[in-house]
Amino acid sequence: MTTTVRRLIILALGLLGGAAAWPVAEGVLFLQGGFPSYLAFLSLLGAIVGLMMGAFFGAAEGITSRIKNRIPRGMLVGAAVGCIGGAAGALAGQAALWLIGGAFLLSYRDLTWVVLPVSRAIGWAVLGIFVGAGEGVRARSPKKILVGVIGGLVGGLLGGAALEYSRLLMPHFALFRLLGLVIMGIAVGLFYGLIEEGMSYGVLRILVGDLKGKEFLLNQRRMRIGRSARNEIALPGYGDLADVQADIRIRKGEPVLENLEARNPVLVNEEKVTEKKLKFGDVLKIGSAKIFYKYG
Amino acid sequence: MSSRYRGALVALLTLGASFGAFGLNITIAQIDTSGLLLRQRVGAYVSVTDDQGEPVTGMTQGSFSVLESPDGLTFRNVPVRDFEQNAGAAEGITFLLLIDNSGSMYDTLDGSRTEDPARMRITHAKDAVRSFAASMTNPADRVGLVAFNTRYILLSRPSPDKEKVAGFLDQIRRPVTDDAYTELYAAIKAASSEFAGIPGRKVIIVLSDGENFPFFTHTGRAHPVFGKRVFTPEESVTSNQEEGISVYGINFGTGGEMDRNLRAIARETGGRVFDAANEEQLAGIYKAIHRQVAGEYLLTYRATMTPAEKKYVRVTVSSTGQETSATRFYFSSVVFGLPLENLWIWLLLPLIAAFLLLWLLTVLKLERKPGPASLEVLQTRVGRPVTRIVPLTSSKTVIGGSARADLTIAGAPQMREEHATILYDPKDRSYTVVGSGDITVNNREVKTRKLEPGDVLDVGGATIVFDDDKEKGGKK
Repeated sequence: MTTTVRRLIILALGLLGGAAAWPVAEGVLFLQGGFPSYLAFLSLLGAIVGLMMGAFFGAAEGITSRIKNRIPRGMLVGAAVGCIGGAAGALAGQAALWLIGGAFLLSYRDLTWVVLPVSRAIGWAVLGIFVGAGEGVRARSPKKILVGVIGGLVGGLLGGAALEYSRLLMPHFALFRLLGLVIMGIAVGLFYGLIEEGMSYGVLRILVGDLKGKEFLLNQRRMRIGRSARNEIALPGYGDLADVQADIRIRKGEPVLENLEARNPVLVNEEKVTEKKLKFGDVLKIGSAKIFYKYG
Repeated sequence: MSSRYRGALVALLTLGASFGAFGLNITIAQIDTSGLLLRQRVGAYVSVTDDQGEPVTGMTQGSFSVLESPDGLTFRNVPVRDFEQNAGAAEGITFLLLIDNSGSMYDTLDGSRTEDPARMRITHAKDAVRSFAASMTNPADRVGLVAFNTRYILLSRPSPDKEKVAGFLDQIRRPVTDDAYTELYAAIKAASSEFAGIPGRKVIIVLSDGENFPFFTHTGRAHPVFGKRVFTPEESVTSNQEEGISVYGINFGTGGEMDRNLRAIARETGGRVFDAANEEQLAGIYKAIHRQVAGEYLLTYRATMTPAEKKYVRVTVSSTGQETSATRFYFSSVVFGLPLENLWIWLLLPLIAAFLLLWLLTVLKLERKPGPASLEVLQTRVGRPVTRIVPLTSSKTVIGGSARADLTIAGAPQMREEHATILYDPKDRSYTVVGSGDITVNNREVKTRKLEPGDVLDVGGATIVFDDDKEKGGKK
């Protein structure tokens, strides 16, 4: 799977997350009158939207790395982080809506076209931040969290604005919220993918075997390589490989490959190495896997 | 405005018109929703005045009841949780002075023509503005200035600098004929939007001598800004009620010409009209407004949860068998908007579809199936490959810049016509690369080299990977 396919999958998951969140959101909205307070109502509403979107985004790593047991765990963590983020996002958005709305009240039209969409978009951005950060929390990677925060922020802001304006432009279109949620999901997915690649230290492309053609982004400060599914770069089915055979750490902005199990050799450009700074174009041989290190 | 809101407005205006009859006026000066999100609380600042516009103090919580409505039609009693007297005036009061600059303001006080500026009404009105600004003692108060006739001209936005206003008075000049009409209602309505972003209590004071005298009605020609639109007193009432602005009037005509609707506008927005012209009376007006604001009651209640873009609050006050009420709204819109009118089972379709597609994504094999031996161009430093993947089906495969090559890299100057050749040896089913130009395999310079699956070739700046799945290169 190339990085383009990976980006498309994250984007598709955003879309699906938005679509899945819609019916539950409509259900909670429908019951607004029965809630004791705005605090309870908005927390639950935000939480349930965040949960759905977080769960779908959480599945991304497991799907793209083709390590299936990462999917449920990713979804669970994504759902949990998304749940908290959704509640926080909804409350922040509501606070922005009422406080900013009250202070800048000019006329009903300004409120409709400027204040409501902008303040709601801020709420969506907060929600997006938490939804995007889910995978980083699962992977315990500050860098991934940062990627998610920026991707989620931009995606949430754009998606939230899209949701609001689709509602205003199509007031009689019952599906405006579905459309908005889907756009929001796509926007978060799109920016997550773009920022993830932009912030990565390059790409490792597998050249042979079962994972031939798959590309791994160097997007964490430490990425382990080995046969075990726990590794960030997991190579199940490849020979002459320990569970955790090697790792790549980012030192002073440059990736350094280290062999962690001396009984199996690790080669860079056909030379045996124990520790080696990588440069673009290097050909790695780790066990029976051959890997090409490239820019993007 | 939707028909729903229009209905509510009618109800609101009807109410406003009725309360004067009881001798007790009530105005909701401001609605505070800062406690709505976290504590479900809404605060209503309520001003109660008698027939003379004097604040009525000493009322108890039992005198008030609060109702809330999602549509302005059906109201529901809500429990009052907190009651506070003398609640206003902490943040200062913002005054916007609207000075009438129509033709008749250049007559004398008793309505005769004059060329002596000292005797003109406008001179008295300007003096009144100076006196009023000078009488403002609270440093938190702000004041702004508007001149109106056919046109509406904002001379100074509300600011704490009281002396600034006096300086702007000199800019008020006698209008030409077409500008000499009195668009009173339009001016009061327009003035309501000059308070944006200013907290606290807001007051408009109109200094005028006469009636609303619209340009279009009296000339039959379109107004330069409003066209054929003629403003009604109701419009100026609602726009000011929505913003929580009280309208006061100062009458400059001695012949009782003052617009009769101005009194109603003032009453319905919680203000009043003063027949005053001298300095002492003007200072008295300032004090009276302060007294009224300071005497407001704060009623805090628990808000209802019915979905609505805005909620109407009605406060009713009863005293000695009289009952009167006032209505205002606040914005109750939530981040996700209003719910659908009905829920249908098909709403679940996207949810089901999303999970189905998610499951599909998890089972989909996106990697390439094993195929015959092949070359794949990963990247090029210069030029571009005509085809990216070339299967190695013949005994000899040529890589080069020539169009006749099996793998052509076009536009790369370092690339020879036939830069490298892959030869197949059927005996041991192996492939060997032979370079006629410079080539590397796994970043090592070679002339010729037997290839293994996953070997990376650099041929004239193109990075090409060799694979042979039949050898099962990856598996051991």
